[in-house]
Amino acid sequence: MAASTTSQVYIDVIEDVMVKVRDEFVNTGASPGDEVLRELQAIWESKCIQAGAVLGPIERNTGVNRPMPGGPITPVHDLNVPYEGTEEYETPTAEILFPPTPLQTPIQTPLPGPGETPNYNIPTGPSDYSSGNDAGGNADVKGGRQAFMPPPSPWMNMNQRPPLDVNVAYVEGRDEADRGASNQPMTQDFFTMTGGKRKRNDLPPPYDAGGYIPQQDGAGDAVSGDFEIEVCGGSISFNSQHTNSKGKMPADLERLASRIPQLDGPIPYEDDVLSTPNIYNYGGVFNEDYNIANTPAPPEVPASTPALVAQNEAVNEDEDDEPLNEDDDDDLDDLDQEDDQDTNHLVLAQFDKVTRTKSRWKCTLKDGIMHINKKDILFNKATGEFDF
Amino acid sequence: MATFELYRRSTIGMCLTETLDEMVQNGTLSPEIAIQVLVQFDKSMTEALETQVKSKVSIKGHLHTYRFCDNVWTFILQDALFKNEDNQENVGRVKIVACDSKLLSQ
Repeated sequence: MAASTTSQVYIDVIEDVMVKVRDEFVNTGASPGDEVLRELQAIWESKCIQAGAVLGPIERNTGVNRPMPGGPITPVHDLNVPYEGTEEYETPTAEILFPPTPLQTPIQTPLPGPGETPNYNIPTGPSDYSSGNDAGGNADVKGGRQAFMPPPSPWMNMNQRPPLDVNVAYVEGRDEADRGASNQPMTQDFFTMTGGKRKRNDLPPPYDAGGYIPQQDGAGDAVSGDFEIEVCGGSISFNSQHTNSKGKMPADLERLASRIPQLDGPIPYEDDVLSTPNIYNYGGVFNEDYNIANTPAPPEVPASTPALVAQNEAVNEDEDDEPLNEDDDDDLDDLDQEDDQDTNHLVLAQFDKVTRTKSRWKCTLKDGIMHINKKDILFNKATGEFDF
Repeated sequence: MATFELYRRSTIGMCLTETLDEMVQNGTLSPEIAIQVLVQFDKSMTEALETQVKSKVSIKGHLHTYRFCDNVWTFILQDALFKNEDNQENVGRVKIVACDSKLLSQ
């Protein structure tokens, strides 16, 4: 369908209308007269030329003039506006950067939670600790974390070095309180860190299994006072704890017990230590965890902190409503946008037959005018095959 | 002769409608005559399509929405492909409005 063809048809239509309407303009007493009719034709033709629908007989229209196209363009701008929403996304990312705060949280966790006291007492602990980490849950935990989130790595780093200072401060405070002697802060810190790690390691599986119990089991064992059991458990930190402070056992146990309950429920809220591990766990499993325990959601912030990705996702989930809404809007808007887009791409025709077989639609159209890609195309017949 | 007002939504029909609107606003034309012009356009356009246009088109695409109301089919296609003898056009979304051709012959 060359544009010229369409143009010619349009010109003929205009001529035909002018001829057939002429009587109305001229003959009636109150009729506007021939001049008005010419004016009508002139304006009509000029508009069609501007629209690019008619190739000016005299003036070859630039074809660029497209009032109609302009309409479509405007919608495009609107689309851009939604993109601002993307900016919003960016904003969240910035917030994600904030996660450092959560990082702090993790650090705190190690301090309080980890079997602080026991670790301190055992100097050898560090070596064991390191070995334990390497051999033990670290691999699992790390693997899980890495897979889930990059952030864990930062956290790990924190544990290794930067956290040390903070830990030391905390350790010293408690150590002093509990025990007068804390000779090796560094070692202790490491232990603490390890303790935290293990807990984390332990935690993830428990979550999956549906219970912190295992982790706490270590603690529980401690409560029972069975050193052997603890050792068997393979949690070096725990062993150290037991060996170091038998007398403290009750206190530790109490702490552990208190922690345990916290871990299950309040993780996000109260227990910094527990919360941290939990958070990590959440981060690892974040999707499921969030869905399952949105209520605990408050921890979301920490979760976000652990892993940037996790944060993003977490944020997304939290904010999912917005993105989803936008998407939904698109779907919903489809109907609304239809009108806008109708102007852009529209087919006006008569149908001879419309049939459907399952999801396959077929239709035969005739005498149609299509406005597609800023061009007017006429057809005598059209066949349509659509998949619904 | 029965006519469809359908084609008034085409480019040429919109141009005519705008023109008539302006002239009626100016007082140059009476609304009655403007309507008569539009009706004549319906007839002329339909006739021109029947007599002057011979081309055929095939349309394929994903049917996003279909609607049949008051003897008018409305389809909204996504990723539609229009083909005719000369060329083909791709359109992300297009609306098809079709009146029952049998109503014209009545």
